[in-house]
Amino acid sequence: MGITVTIRTNSAENTESEIKTLEPILKVENVWKLYHAGKVEVPALRGVNLDVLPGEAVAVMGPSGCGKSSLLYVIGGLAKASRGRVLVDGNDLVTMTDAERTKLRRSKIGFVFQRFNLLPALTAKGNIAIAQYIHGDGFDPHRFEVVTKMLGLDGRLNHRPAEMSGGEQQRVAIARAIINEPKILLADEPTGNLDTKNSEIVLEMLRRLNKDLGQTIVMITHNPEATTYFDRVVHMRDGVIVDGIPAD
Amino acid sequence: MMGQFVWRNLFHRPVRTLIGMLAIAVEVMLVITIVGLTSGMLQETAKRIEGIGADIMVQPNSSTMFIGFTGAPMPIKIADKIAELKYVQYVTPALLQFNTAGGVETIWGIDPISFRQVSNGFVFLQGHGLQGPDDMLVDDWQAKAKHVKVGDTYTVLNHAWKVVGIVEHGKAGRIFVPITTLQELVGAHDKATIFLVKCTRAEHTADVMEEIKQILPSNKVQPVKEYMSLMTSTNIPALQTFINSIIALAVSIGLLVIFLSMYTTVLERTRDIGVLKSLGASKFMIVRALLAETTLLCFLGILSGVGLSYTVRAAFLKLFPTLSILITPGWVLRAALIAILGALVGASYPAWQASRKDAVEALAYD
Repeated sequence: MGITVTIRTNSAENTESEIKTLEPILKVENVWKLYHAGKVEVPALRGVNLDVLPGEAVAVMGPSGCGKSSLLYVIGGLAKASRGRVLVDGNDLVTMTDAERTKLRRSKIGFVFQRFNLLPALTAKGNIAIAQYIHGDGFDPHRFEVVTKMLGLDGRLNHRPAEMSGGEQQRVAIARAIINEPKILLADEPTGNLDTKNSEIVLEMLRRLNKDLGQTIVMITHNPEATTYFDRVVHMRDGVIVDGIPAD
Repeated sequence: MMGQFVWRNLFHRPVRTLIGMLAIAVEVMLVITIVGLTSGMLQETAKRIEGIGADIMVQPNSSTMFIGFTGAPMPIKIADKIAELKYVQYVTPALLQFNTAGGVETIWGIDPISFRQVSNGFVFLQGHGLQGPDDMLVDDWQAKAKHVKVGDTYTVLNHAWKVVGIVEHGKAGRIFVPITTLQELVGAHDKATIFLVKCTRAEHTADVMEEIKQILPSNKVQPVKEYMSLMTSTNIPALQTFINSIIALAVSIGLLVIFLSMYTTVLERTRDIGVLKSLGASKFMIVRALLAETTLLCFLGILSGVGLSYTVRAAFLKLFPTLSILITPGWVLRAALIAILGALVGASYPAWQASRKDAVEALAYD
């Protein structure tokens, strides 16, 4: 059986009673994820429970193989939970078809990956714009300008990923992830391939997105220093959440 | 945006795109050129028959569309019988001999006087008409192909002919010799392959045909216009089969190359597909992107193929001036459609495969 995390935030302005009235934007209830290696079942997640409120920034930490990425993919609808419930903005991903999860992901979830995962043939602008195209609303120049300016991408938009530094690429990836104003931003070790300086830049960007725009963020990280940028840190081990404490 | 995505993906791997384009270009060129060659040759032959100016052709019943293969089974005296009929202005016999030694050509043995009556004569570019038994006329295309000029000796059928004149192409054949000499050479004394009849007026053609059929019931009598209309590949079953085989071969080439190209593309872009899925791209969107890329590649290949066809035609005509390659808008369009269909079929499996890739696995792909 999973462990329920007590929700507390850093903000002194919010009382616990006020928090309890907020509906979680993300609700993970007793989620199991089983992978099949031949005839053997390998549980990546073993009854995980996690609630994330709107506007929260949560860091998920744990050793390699503890199920962090599996949790992220299940939350993001890229993988389907074997058991349990995953509610994203009230929608249960577990009961959805692949097409429905894809549709939900398009409108409510943004992903940032460790390896940036930009499309190499497109420029920075193209990589961001394609997210808008897939979303279905077409290119929104105003939103595009706001996001790229905020992430300091002016002057780099016509460059392809191969012509950009790691930090720039990751900022493009973040721009792509938030261009459609997703409910939740999921980041899978976004600083894993960056040096210290660029890591700090990216983490600061994420922090600003959370504090200034109220972006809900769930981030996987190995980096203990990264946790200082987040409201709450959740620890995982062997497919379960073992501890969820405020970042301070 | 999709257009930009497709366009940039195509040119992100220029060598692979070039190979794909080349395959489509070759496919299109094969179809256009082979069809153009067959229809060009047929049409050119038909035009040359029309160029004689006769109204009716009289041949043996066993004759085919290819007059040169018929041999010489008809007595030449048939010409006199036909000449006596009402509304017949002139008749001329011709003996056709197919020759494959030193090239593929049909020798026309003609009676110069009656041939001139029916055809209004040749347009001479150089020299004069047939006078001696070993005289030969060649048309300008044949002269260019064989590098002959007036006064040269031209050996055909193991006989040394003297080229006495070069005539404008477009009338009957390319090589003309006296019918009597040719009859001797091929052992067809007093025989002819075909009789060409000119009526007093074109409106009398049907009446004259009826009369000829009455006196020659076992011969094939047809208007020249009908022969012209029948000189198409659809009326020659073996030729149509040949054309269909070439088209099938061309489509197979295009299909297989595109299949391989897109299969490799999908494999190489596995992670990109995972990224698109993480952004919320549906299966349909992914299939559509890949098929759009294929269509664009095909379009570029088709343009190249059409250009290549004209280049190949120019090269062929330079090397073989007597060839005729007819490139028509209709067949260019058909070749284009065939190429697009083949390419889309070839790309459909890789595209479907791409849409079904597991997003998590795709994102982890190296």
